[in-house]
Amino acid sequence: MWTLRPVHYLMVAPVHLLLLVFIFVPALYVGWLSLTHSSFGGPPEFVGLENYATMLADRIFWRSFWNTFLVVNIVVYGELALGLGLALLLAGWVPFKRVVIAIILAPYAITEVTAVIMWRYMLEPDVGMINYALKSLGVPQIEWAVEPFSALMVVSVLAIWQHLPFTFLILYAAVTTIPNELIESAKVDGATPWQTFWFVKLRLILPAVFVALMFRYIFAMRIFSEVWLLTEGGPARMTEVLAVYLYRQAFRYHEFGAASATGWMLLLLSLVIALPYLRAMYVKMFRDG
Amino acid sequence: MRRTHLSKLAFAASLALAVSLGTSGAFAQAKPEKLVIMSHAVHKGAVTGEKGGDSSADWSKKNGVGTEWLTFGVEAVHERVYREASLAEGKVDIAFILERYSGPQVARLFEDLSQYQAKDPIEDFNEISSGMRTAHTHNGKLIAIPFRHATHGLLYNQVYFKERGVDAPPKTMEALLALAEKMNYTRPDGTVVHGYITSFDDPSGIVDLMRAFGGDFITSDYKFVADSPASIKVVTLLRDFFRKGIFPKNVFTFKTEEVITMMQQGRAAMTNQPFGRFFNYNDAKQSKFPGEFKVTTIPAAGGGIAPAKTSVWGMAIPANSKNKQLAWTLIKELSSKKATVAQAINGNGPVRVSAYKDEGVRKLVPYADDEAAVLQTARSTVPGFENTQKAMDFFMEEIQLAMLGTKTPEQAMADLKKRVEPLLPR
Repeated sequence: MWTLRPVHYLMVAPVHLLLLVFIFVPALYVGWLSLTHSSFGGPPEFVGLENYATMLADRIFWRSFWNTFLVVNIVVYGELALGLGLALLLAGWVPFKRVVIAIILAPYAITEVTAVIMWRYMLEPDVGMINYALKSLGVPQIEWAVEPFSALMVVSVLAIWQHLPFTFLILYAAVTTIPNELIESAKVDGATPWQTFWFVKLRLILPAVFVALMFRYIFAMRIFSEVWLLTEGGPARMTEVLAVYLYRQAFRYHEFGAASATGWMLLLLSLVIALPYLRAMYVKMFRDG
Repeated sequence: MRRTHLSKLAFAASLALAVSLGTSGAFAQAKPEKLVIMSHAVHKGAVTGEKGGDSSADWSKKNGVGTEWLTFGVEAVHERVYREASLAEGKVDIAFILERYSGPQVARLFEDLSQYQAKDPIEDFNEISSGMRTAHTHNGKLIAIPFRHATHGLLYNQVYFKERGVDAPPKTMEALLALAEKMNYTRPDGTVVHGYITSFDDPSGIVDLMRAFGGDFITSDYKFVADSPASIKVVTLLRDFFRKGIFPKNVFTFKTEEVITMMQQGRAAMTNQPFGRFFNYNDAKQSKFPGEFKVTTIPAAGGGIAPAKTSVWGMAIPANSKNKQLAWTLIKELSSKKATVAQAINGNGPVRVSAYKDEGVRKLVPYADDEAAVLQTARSTVPGFENTQKAMDFFMEEIQLAMLGTKTPEQAMADLKKRVEPLLPR
């Protein structure tokens, strides 16, 4: 049994100090700012919960919230399904495995801005390769610049394509550590491939699945570049997500109190989503031994 | 005794040190190594360009002080300038700001330049139009000296005009609209040509059309008029242009850059943008039709010149600058008649009418007379006030809803009125 001694606290102190200085204190400052009217040219003026009330009464906030909810869930579970499928596939024999893995990882090496602009030009209505091909085949074009749902789907596909390597790597690493003996035992016991996956493999890689889910949820909640560079939240702010809503308040309207309130709302939402996963990880990894 | 002597010595030494520090401090204030200028890249190009020469060079030589330009995009430069100017002590000595991004709420952050002007005046200051000076005057403070204007004209591709049998630009707004339909076609090589495009990044392109019919968005005395029949007529027209494919399907995502690319690639026939784009469109390195683009005034309904959009960049001195007096001398230099001409040759929209009469400028700027004529009536897209950006976003949102058919033009403008009027200064 481990006994925690002062030296152990000392060893973990630097990371906690960094968290305190760069995350906790600024978060508290932003929390205070969210209770003020604050802009350039004057000192912040305390207004209590007014910014939160205004935000909750704003229909564009709620539209941004539901857009974020939709995109985040499509992206996180889409990536999980695809990443898991690819991890399981590549754990077995696949020709040119290294090349295939390199292809899967490649989008992660492209900056978000470049990736979005590339997709935007491929989907351009008059001259874009994708829309041109669809038009040539007599298939309706993807109306991402006009239909909000199409735009949000394009954003989701783009985000999945670019961030799949993160989820894939975590799951692939977990899948490759499953002992072969367990798989063989299951086969000897007459388990079908589905039963082997469900009762053996998935149980063993569950902590990794939780880690991937939690991190991707938190990162995806901040989705910004894909929306900003593709549609800037348009048409008519119908594809706006929470990070774009916050950006407008802070950097276009210079309403730092309102932007801080949105920031805190994003933080609370991330916490609400992360807590069940954190709890499940804790139970799986520590309490269950 | 000895103690007293020591005390006197210490006092004398302290005094000497203080004087020395004070002197060196004063010296540092009068003679920094460089002045820091925060601006858009276009201002740096106008001041230091090769064609017209560096209009800050003489000042640098005379004062023994250099300049450091920090350049950003339009929105970013204002955000950074205001952030820097809000600090107790700033490092920016001259900031370039656009009139619609400023307003009474930020006036406190800058020096009142009318006091500097009274003590050490800029040459023939009254030649700079009072409208431009007023655009940068808030709470009675002149916070920036006009440096550059970007005024809209009608730019068109002459090759396409000839292809469609059009030999002259339209003289009335009605003719322009009919021409936009005619210029919407597919070329034999398969190029889809859109009859007319404009930027949907902010209301400036749309407000030009509203003003051509006698409408507007917000008047200079802060009255909402986008629900006037003339303005609604334009919203209906935009909706029809969108439905007919005169505007591309992705027009809502068009910023200035997209409009430039479309025109340079020959995918659109006409647009309303600053006169200065003439050079971008005719640049052989960037354009498929170098030398084939022309620019003229935007016609008003029934004839004449429409009061197009102009935006005025001005030079301001942050109140927390340590080199205010020196910064003023550079502003004074850059505002001189000679410098204005040099900057115009470098592609700047000159704020002095006399620059349009200069032979060097006229040789390089074939649209000088047209631009000078538009300046007589040109106005800012919207007057600067605390909620300008929000009002402009609301405008674009409601316009797009009308164009998509979600609302009728009348309903969209009525809803816009409800959202914008509470934001306007009382």
